[in-house]
Amino acid sequence: MNGSVWLPLMVVASALLPGLIIFCLPEEKVRTRTVLNLAGAFSKIILTGWMLWGVYHGDRYEMRVAFLPELDLVLRADSLSLLFIALSSLLWLLTTIYAIGYLEGSPHRSRFFGFFSLCVTSTSGVALSGNLITFLVFYELLTLVTYPLVVHRGTEAARRAGQIYLVYTISGGTLLLLGTVWLYSITGTLEFRPQGILYSLDGAHYPALAAIFALLIAGLGVKAALVPLHGWLPEAMIAPAPVSALLHAVAVVKAGAYGIVRVVYDVFGIDFAATLGVTGPLAVLAAVTILYGSLRALAQDNLKRRLAYSTVSQVSYITLGVAIAGPVATIGGVVHLVHQGLMKITLFFCAGNLAETLGIHKVHEMNGAGRRMPWTMAAFTIGAFGMIGVPPVAGFVSKWYLGLGALEAEAHWVIFVLVGSSLLNAAYFLPVLHRVWFRDPPDNWPIERDFGDKETAWALLLPPVITALLALLAGLAASAWFSPLEWVKLIAQREFYHL
Amino acid sequence: MNSATIFNNLLLPGVFWPFLLACLMGFRTTRALALSLAPWAALPALAVSLLTPDTAYWHFPSMLFGSEIGLNATGQVFLLLTTVLWTVSGVYAGAYLRHSAQREAFHVFFLLSMTGNFVLIVSQDLFGFYLGFSLMSFAAYGLVVHDRSAAALRAGRIYMILTIAAELMLFVALLMAAGITGAMTFDALHTGLAMMDAVDRNTVFLLGIAGFGIKAGLFGLHVWLPLAHPVAPTPASAVLSGAMIKAGLLGWLQLLPLGIIALPGWGTAMIMLGLTAAFYGVAVGLTQRDPKTLLAYSSISQMGIMTMAVGVGMLMPDAWPLILPAIAFYALHHGLSKGALFLGAGFSRGNDYRQRRWIWFALWLPALALAGVPWTSGMLAKQLIKTHTLYAPAPWDTLLPLLLSVSALATALLMARLLYLMRPAAGSPAPAAGLIGPWVVLLSTVLLAPWWFATATGAPGMDSMPVRDGLWPVLATAAATWVVLRLGIFRTIRPLPAGDILALTTHVLRLTRLSHHFGSELARFSVGWGKLQTGILAYLTGLSMIVKERLQKMENYLSRWDVAMLCAIIIAVAMGMHAGFIGINIH
Repeated sequence: MNGSVWLPLMVVASALLPGLIIFCLPEEKVRTRTVLNLAGAFSKIILTGWMLWGVYHGDRYEMRVAFLPELDLVLRADSLSLLFIALSSLLWLLTTIYAIGYLEGSPHRSRFFGFFSLCVTSTSGVALSGNLITFLVFYELLTLVTYPLVVHRGTEAARRAGQIYLVYTISGGTLLLLGTVWLYSITGTLEFRPQGILYSLDGAHYPALAAIFALLIAGLGVKAALVPLHGWLPEAMIAPAPVSALLHAVAVVKAGAYGIVRVVYDVFGIDFAATLGVTGPLAVLAAVTILYGSLRALAQDNLKRRLAYSTVSQVSYITLGVAIAGPVATIGGVVHLVHQGLMKITLFFCAGNLAETLGIHKVHEMNGAGRRMPWTMAAFTIGAFGMIGVPPVAGFVSKWYLGLGALEAEAHWVIFVLVGSSLLNAAYFLPVLHRVWFRDPPDNWPIERDFGDKETAWALLLPPVITALLALLAGLAASAWFSPLEWVKLIAQREFYHL
Repeated sequence: MNSATIFNNLLLPGVFWPFLLACLMGFRTTRALALSLAPWAALPALAVSLLTPDTAYWHFPSMLFGSEIGLNATGQVFLLLTTVLWTVSGVYAGAYLRHSAQREAFHVFFLLSMTGNFVLIVSQDLFGFYLGFSLMSFAAYGLVVHDRSAAALRAGRIYMILTIAAELMLFVALLMAAGITGAMTFDALHTGLAMMDAVDRNTVFLLGIAGFGIKAGLFGLHVWLPLAHPVAPTPASAVLSGAMIKAGLLGWLQLLPLGIIALPGWGTAMIMLGLTAAFYGVAVGLTQRDPKTLLAYSSISQMGIMTMAVGVGMLMPDAWPLILPAIAFYALHHGLSKGALFLGAGFSRGNDYRQRRWIWFALWLPALALAGVPWTSGMLAKQLIKTHTLYAPAPWDTLLPLLLSVSALATALLMARLLYLMRPAAGSPAPAAGLIGPWVVLLSTVLLAPWWFATATGAPGMDSMPVRDGLWPVLATAAATWVVLRLGIFRTIRPLPAGDILALTTHVLRLTRLSHHFGSELARFSVGWGKLQTGILAYLTGLSMIVKERLQKMENYLSRWDVAMLCAIIIAVAMGMHAGFIGINIH
């Protein structure tokens, strides 16, 4: 074998090494830190591109290290992990640029970027995990390295939010660990395999397996913000905008959703899970989360809180698509992993721009913001329409496939959930857009920073504009070879259904 | 390469040119250039629509879920109509808003709606159509609320609510249609729908007809139209009422399997809804005092005729190849005339007395055309439709021709009322320059339309039309107008509030609310409309506050981590028991 054994490790290391070096850098070494950050982000993109090419042509990248007796730590790049890796490396680069602009001149930047890189490291690890134990290790690591980012500002509110975050995620981690150990005691393996590892087991184990499923989902559901385990997410929006952006689009929330996909498909196997009767309740839970999150979002005046509840709702599309248990719905759910990431990170970037440039934190302060910051708000508009599911933004593609999947699986109630969710999304996004574009701006913005004749700093403006365009492109060119949708179809074909 | 092929390849650049201009508006360096080009944005598409052959067809497998772009004979007529109207209105808007501070914003929304309108016409696949429809509908909100007056904002709110309703209905309709038949293009869809299970098919039809019906002003769903069309700036009213309203009609024509299977139930329903709208629109329109509101009601009435014709087509699939061009021409005729009337109505605030008198006389042309006077496009349109109704199954074969004649009379009355309202009066602000030119061009297209149509499609020309049929409604109207003017009836009629049924609903809502309250509250029954609405709003706000509070309490409770974990454990146990039950069943 050539270097392909090392590729997955190199992807993880591409974020880890810069992170470790940055910790040791003194605060004022801005340029070195920037170079390190960008070098890490770019090298990760190149490595990801390399692996994408290889996996597309049928290569496998796997690295195995002995961890416990008969349990290896496995890093493996298959098509599903590459979807998540590709999303995270792309958004890491953009968020790094954004964070450099956002935190300019603020204290503790070395600490921030250090943990930021570690956060990406653990996300990459989560994505590349080849078995449940590796997943668990990185998943827990993610909890620990995200905490300093949530409390970064060090205010009373931030520390309180951090505490809530820890209580939730560590409890969730415990449940996950419990489920994993129990599962291992029955199966003797924790490997991720297409069709799962359980179908050959005796029926006597079924009750235990269902309980394990519930434990695993509860553990993952904390990060995926399934109701009623979502309480930490709206609190964690106290974190700086780049953290919220990464948290909601890639790192924490997605790690949970991604874990659910892995557990359902590669541990239990979708057919087995359906036989066990656990996908139905999961679908209902996802549907409840979708509607409940949107209902709560309606009532929020704080923009980031509104977006946070919107995440609660939107991330459950992924779970819903998985739980409907059909190939088409799965495509809709899994592709939403990418689509929601692009759209939500755009929205959070824009919220950050409003806060940084004009001091706007509340929806009611957004009157006329479109006139002051047209590009930012245009990006926001694209993101919002995507959330509602208006074509050609990416959200439409997800929703369409979820709907088709529901028809295919004859789960007609799901269509009502989708329509209800779209309606609620329209109800909490369109009034914001109305304020932004059609109300007169106030005489004075809350705290306005001066950027000359530009609407804001380049580093703040470029990332949301790029992600908005990508969200647009992912929908507009949904059937092109480079689109997330086509890649997810490949995943469904190779990993899930062997069509 | 002959000229047809060249124009073939120019169709897409023509369609996306306005979008490009809208994007250029975003950059400071190109804004001035884009603004100066914006009024003429539809011109390339207009040229292309005249010269592109109706066989043009492209396939873009990478776009959306596979895009099909093309023009057929119907699409060609719709494209011609919309491009003419958008061009004329664009030029008109350039002059109309020359000194407005809001003109950049106006043009951005104008260009985006225009792009959407073009895209939906040239798209032959479901998604392209839906994309264009959405873009047009959402961007047009900016045109409706342009003035930011209370009336405009209210109209905008109602417009937006119904637009979202339409979007969602169409989403489900297209999802079911595509999901069950596997079709991505309208052509494939028609055959698929013909073979579909009746329950599913009826769901698709119901949602599709209602979803597009909102845009087309289908009776019952028309409430937003008389509110939104008049409050927009004049050039926007012209395209809303002339061009964008036709997107709903085109949606029906594309979605429904017309000409393939007979749909007696749906056909009858469409005929009845159409006829109701035709007369109802006139009846409410006659009471109006604002010319633009009257014109909006006239649009509802005219769309009723087209709805009825679609219904006739559903009854007689064999005759559809003949009915379709008739509907397309009716759409063309109505769009051009209505556009001309709206633009003319925009003059009433400018120009001096003498100019106004000329303008007023010129307004007679589109007004008479709508009334179907001999030798106008209206007569040709009405005759084309009427001819086919003669072969409809009983009782429609006797009823429809008669009702169509009566509706021509009704329209003539409405137009007389319009001309009366717009009669030149004393008192004159400065003349608005640059508005006359585009308007005259549009007027001449009203004249030219029948001639173009006869040449393009080989349809029967004017000569073959019975003149008497078109003449008597006008004469009757003239007599009626004379009587009405002598009696002065209209001075005593109070205009029905625009949005008719909506206002009624608001009233009923208010009444039900009052019935729950103390008797003393009844005293407030006599307050004006504004207060009624405030009451409703306050009620809804109160309700939403209560819901909000309850949700917050629930959230607070759920946000305690111990509760959350307890829930998780309960769910785990429940799922375990559930699965245990299944496990036992299996073994």
